[in-house]
Amino acid sequence: MSQAALRSIIGAALLVAFVLLPFAGLSDYWTYTVTIGFYYALLAASWSLLVGYVGRISFAQAAMSGLGGYASALGVLEFGLPIGLGLVFAALIAGLVGYVLGWLTLRLHGAYLGLTTIAFGEILRISVTAEHWLTEGSLGLQVPPLIPGGSRLEYYYIFLAITVGCLAAMGLLLRSRIGLFFQSIREDEDGAASLGVAVTTWKCVAFAISSAFAGLAGGLYAHFVQLIAPSMMSLQEMGVILAMAVIGGFHNILYAALGGMLLQVLLEALREVEQWRLVVFGLVTILVLRFAPNGLFGMLSNIFVRRRNSDG
Amino acid sequence: MAEQLVVDRLTKTFGGIVALNGVELAFSAGELIGLIGPNGSGKTTLLNIVSGYYTADRGQITYENQPIAGTSPHKLARIGIGRSFQVTKVFRRLTVMENMLVSGLSDWSETRSQASERATAILEDLKLTRLRDERASNLSGGQLKLLEFARIMMLQPKLLLLDEPFGGVHPELKRFMYDCIRKWNAAGITIILISHDMGSIFELCRRVVTLSYGDIICDGTPEETRADKGVLEAYLGEHHASA
Ligand SMILES: Nc1ncnc2c1ncn2[C@@H]1O[C@H](COP(=O)(O)OP(=O)(O)OP(=O)(O)O)[C@@H](O)[C@H]1O
Ligand SMILES: [Mg+2]
Repeated sequence: MSQAALRSIIGAALLVAFVLLPFAGLSDYWTYTVTIGFYYALLAASWSLLVGYVGRISFAQAAMSGLGGYASALGVLEFGLPIGLGLVFAALIAGLVGYVLGWLTLRLHGAYLGLTTIAFGEILRISVTAEHWLTEGSLGLQVPPLIPGGSRLEYYYIFLAITVGCLAAMGLLLRSRIGLFFQSIREDEDGAASLGVAVTTWKCVAFAISSAFAGLAGGLYAHFVQLIAPSMMSLQEMGVILAMAVIGGFHNILYAALGGMLLQVLLEALREVEQWRLVVFGLVTILVLRFAPNGLFGMLSNIFVRRRNSDG
Repeated sequence: MAEQLVVDRLTKTFGGIVALNGVELAFSAGELIGLIGPNGSGKTTLLNIVSGYYTADRGQITYENQPIAGTSPHKLARIGIGRSFQVTKVFRRLTVMENMLVSGLSDWSETRSQASERATAILEDLKLTRLRDERASNLSGGQLKLLEFARIMMLQPKLLLLDEPFGGVHPELKRFMYDCIRKWNAAGITIILISHDMGSIFELCRRVVTLSYGDIICDGTPEETRADKGVLEAYLGEHHASA
């Protein structure tokens, strides 16, 4: 069996598992937890799209998610947008701001790129905190629900559907010629340009797309938890997203998404050990980067493929 | 014959270093030109300017009667200026075929099936068919050079700029690369070939341009170049009498 066929089978099995999960006696509390897991899955995948495929690092992903959350909430509260349009607005605003960040950092690499995105994310977070009249600052903003009076289960399936839809859209994009352009830029920008790839444009577009998905995730999250604060844009939150993508495997959007889900579930399961959870995740992230650069799921898939090949 | 590429008083400095000092050159369509000169004489700089990677401090470049100074590299690639790099810039984590497709699909009017069909034919020509699904990181140095050739040919270039294509290539493969270069040139592609390998240059090219400290010190046949005192001095490491 080819690796691609194997991937589609595993993908389909995962989808079925998540559809059936609530029927396996999932408590209300865990339904909620897994729903938040979908949010992180989408966020981690959006980050891996940029870092794993285009080779551009950003530490502004949590800020973009928060930006989307506030954009959608304020779109609904201030302009009276229906929530569906609020989410579209969130993706558009985050996408636009992402494009600008991409443009600002075009010529930057490595540490300079990383530091600039940190500064950019912090500017967004601090602006949201400071514009108290609009955002309620660190008190937090009350956000209307996605489905008034909706049950936990309804939210679960909506989040599942949107996450799967977004992952599929990312997958299609990455398989198209644009995905090939992205990877050529990751491998060698000058080489890509010499073969006719509009490197500048695609670098900006990649930032825009990655941020738009983060913004959409943030919008969904806002209308689910119904109270958002600038802390969702913090560097600590960014660290969590980074750990999720790295531990799952950031060279593959699906692995990164699974990392998001896995860590969210573990974060909840290990609640008793409080802040130590983050220390553990930090350590695991370092170990994964050192010993399994393709992430846990990348490593699993490699082992699986190798075993099948040696059997067959 | 109409001139395809004209370089007019091109100057480029890096800090205090004058990499190109008012270089003037004209190339006709279909020529096969050797570009030689000692280390640091400005060969790669000239190529980088023509292909859009550097901007000149002064001077004009005209390609097919269009001024192209300041045009970005990817646009120049699209209008037929193909180039290789002194150090290969192959996409190592992509397969050989994917490397080829980047080059084909960067032209939006080409479909994936058209691109892979052309790629298949070019890989066949360059004896890379066997490696089409191999990751480029698994290729040998010589195979990487061939892949770089193959990717450029996907652009259907009219002007080919090759920077040290024979570096680290064993003699048998070098012969094969000569054949390719001759074949492409015979098909009408203008080729500017940079090489430290005098043997290759003198064997392939009927015209040889010699740079030294950013100046053209000789522009002639291989025989004239070999007999030129200035060229000899430049290669012996002495300051030639440019002033
Ligand atoms: N990006 C750059 N920054 C600073 N100096 C540069 C740069 N590129 C070239 N130079 C300088 O310009 C001069 C010409 O360099 P160039 O690379 O064009 O030489 P070359 O003829 O290709 O040499 P070689 O045969 O070693 O490849 C050298 O002195 C070099 O140090
Ligand atoms: Mg050089």
